Amino acid sequence: MKLIALLALSTLALTAQQYPPIGPDNSPETQEILRRINNLGPNEVPDLRLKREQNYAKTSSDVEPFGGVKPYKEHFLLQMEYTGPGRSEPEPGPELKSVRIGFIGPIMATVSQATGGKSHEEVLGKKMLQGAQLAIEQANARGGYVKRKIPFELDIVNDNGLWGSTGNEVITMAYKRPAWAILGTIDSANSHIAIRVALKSEVYMMNSGDTDPTFIETNIPWTGRCIGDDRQQGYLLVDYMIRKMGYKRIGIIRASNRYGRFGVREIKDSARRLGRPVAIEMAYKVGGSDFDLQIQRLREANVDAIVHWGDARESALVLNQLRKTGMKQPYFTSDRSVSKEFTEIAGANAEGVISGYPWNPDRKDPHLDEFRKEFIARFKDEPDTYAAHGYDGMNMLLWATNNAGLNRAKIRDLIATRSTPWPGVTGAIPLSSAMDDMGDVFLARFDKDRWTYHSREELQIPRGYIPTRERVSRGLETAAAK
Amino acid sequence: MKQKSIAAFLLTAALGFGQTPPAANPKLPFVYTKWKQFTKADGLPNEHVFAVKSDGPRLWVGTEGGLALIDKKSGKVTKVWTEADGLPWRAISGIDINHKTGEVWLALFGGGLARFSGGRFDHWHQMNSGIVNDVAYGVAVENDNIWVATTAGASRLNTVSGEWTIYTEKNAPMEEIWNYGVDYRDGKIHLAVWGSGVLEFDVASSRWKDYLDPDGEMEIDLYRDDGIVHVITTGAKYIDKALWVSSYFGVCRYDGRNWRAYYNMDSGLPSDFNNNLAARSGNEAWFATDKGVGAIMDAASNTWVTYTRDPKSNAGKAVVSRDKTVLETIEMGLNLPNNFIVSMDVDGNDVFVGTSKGLAWGIGEGYYAGVKDRPKQVAEIRGGAK
Repeated sequence: MKLIALLALSTLALTAQQYPPIGPDNSPETQEILRRINNLGPNEVPDLRLKREQNYAKTSSDVEPFGGVKPYKEHFLLQMEYTGPGRSEPEPGPELKSVRIGFIGPIMATVSQATGGKSHEEVLGKKMLQGAQLAIEQANARGGYVKRKIPFELDIVNDNGLWGSTGNEVITMAYKRPAWAILGTIDSANSHIAIRVALKSEVYMMNSGDTDPTFIETNIPWTGRCIGDDRQQGYLLVDYMIRKMGYKRIGIIRASNRYGRFGVREIKDSARRLGRPVAIEMAYKVGGSDFDLQIQRLREANVDAIVHWGDARESALVLNQLRKTGMKQPYFTSDRSVSKEFTEIAGANAEGVISGYPWNPDRKDPHLDEFRKEFIARFKDEPDTYAAHGYDGMNMLLWATNNAGLNRAKIRDLIATRSTPWPGVTGAIPLSSAMDDMGDVFLARFDKDRWTYHSREELQIPRGYIPTRERVSRGLETAAAK
Repeated sequence: MKQKSIAAFLLTAALGFGQTPPAANPKLPFVYTKWKQFTKADGLPNEHVFAVKSDGPRLWVGTEGGLALIDKKSGKVTKVWTEADGLPWRAISGIDINHKTGEVWLALFGGGLARFSGGRFDHWHQMNSGIVNDVAYGVAVENDNIWVATTAGASRLNTVSGEWTIYTEKNAPMEEIWNYGVDYRDGKIHLAVWGSGVLEFDVASSRWKDYLDPDGEMEIDLYRDDGIVHVITTGAKYIDKALWVSSYFGVCRYDGRNWRAYYNMDSGLPSDFNNNLAARSGNEAWFATDKGVGAIMDAASNTWVTYTRDPKSNAGKAVVSRDKTVLETIEMGLNLPNNFIVSMDVDGNDVFVGTSKGLAWGIGEGYYAGVKDRPKQVAEIRGGAK
């Protein structure tokens, strides 16, 4: 009997060293957080060393909103805390046979309520699901939920296109088939709906696929995001287009959905604040194939660079039609264009296209190599950005669950208070005070039949001055005042 | 006499218009020192109190796990309904009363809308009615209509014709459709919409008006009093032609001409994270924060009373403040069962506070509106009504 116990302990020690590091975490920080959140009464609120930052989202002073005015108040610099009684909830009894983690994402084709047409995000959601599945399967191969040696169970639901269904599905995962934490989703409107339900029902949601900047700008302590958002990608694109390349008249063509509308917002605002206001912004209906009107307007606006924000298919069709009409302007896109679908449709026109991208898949990292290998072995296909971020997001949830125990508030606490970046296959994932991924983003460039990924430093892209003091207490600092 | 008037005018001018001159004995608001608590031990089906509604001698309590009725006279939970008793869904996020019929209307968080009448529950949901979504956050009775704030728009049920009307971005100025709260008073519906500020629907004209954050930015409030405090709102109450608004980014008040925002940093609001609110008048409102109750008792002088409980003992306290100056601290027996406040109602002289760990009933014996001269309650007041 003792021998078995020793063997089990040895196995546990070994698994703690494995990647991803989802097993028992003996780091001083995690142990200290556990000491603070365990054994609390329902009215006690732990001191969790809330993160406090001096600058929101690494925004340079020359693109801050209303830069000439000292605002009355800045939000998101001090981390939100959860002050409710959830930490005192008892764990379930021995009757529990599995530890359920929810997955919500667009995985089934349906009618899109947002567009009135066919849904369009299931190609992304299925990959995200595969990444999450691989993480769960790996965790179960290593013993599952380590404290009870019971498996993790992935509860999978679809939210594609139907805005209302997301709320109902999260209700199900909160009350009917209770999940300890949830991963999801991709559509921006659905994500907002989901976290509102998660907030009220007090279950943590990790987002790995929605790059809408406003997703995190909601002051909800029950959510986080493990993918670089469109604000960060937009800043890098603007710095490249304006500060490095000196384009003066940028034109935008985008999807008429929330992804397109909010995706270009920081590009528009930043360009205007840098004195190069976007010359024209044209929207098209998602799922469309004819962009003559938008392209005609872009031509008339005499733009010297074009930014597209939307899905891969439309991005490629727009590009082809631009080139067909003789428009040779540089073409910039969102990360959704970095896909086989885009390059297959765009063909030779894809050459030279530049996209914002939330990570660097060419990074030399044995964990990334191993993930890729195992993903291909499991699904007979390459992992894409949604798979990789879904894998990372799910592993963060598994790490938190394994260490916090079966308590939703404590699972939240461990992720929220983690001060060191999560070592993801997509790179280091440091969470900001707003619980957003503040890791590096990149530019992807399609050259000679493949995408290559480039950092700001590699391309020597200048950036504005990032102030080290919050706006309310500092002077009216600008780049020039540096 | 004339000289005195001139001197008074000059003094006022020197101090600045609208500012209260410092006083040795400032006028003080009423402070609730008698509280009664209700938990599962007292018969609540669940302690996470999502909604509370006072109805004369009755108090309806909507929780994450059922509905409870408290008889105010006896001070006891007299009846509880769960799904086993016919309640259509366990989580009740909003309650309103049709005073004409006596019907109790329930917003069900994930279950649509329910009516409790004659001992029977009737249920409207996405599969049997025109309600736009089952994730309902609030309900309000407007004449013969029932309005429901849902996560995918607002729905209106005409109880006479049975007709449903849906309001979304297609027929209302909703930049986003994520409705959070709904309120009806004085001919106006107010919707608190996550991402779309507050929308006002004039019943007589069927016209909409929107209140949005003028700076349009999520990460800052450019000027304190330029408009609604943030576009992500959680509640709106209209009373005495004043609009009170709660949000996760502070709270604010609009008197039809001027806005005023209140933050933790410049008022007695205990936290900027506000789940809901209740308004007693255009001068007094109560806010449900994640760090206690913040009650602005006199908007004219920015005088607040903040109620919190001690986390480790059965004691509570009230702090009276003007702007950020503490005027009075009153130690008392247990007031709130928990400092995470979710729901709120005021009725007559009393207040009702739904928390994450039970319900509190503040008994307003001797309540007075606004502020007045009174001795400071420096002596400790121990022992609530329980």
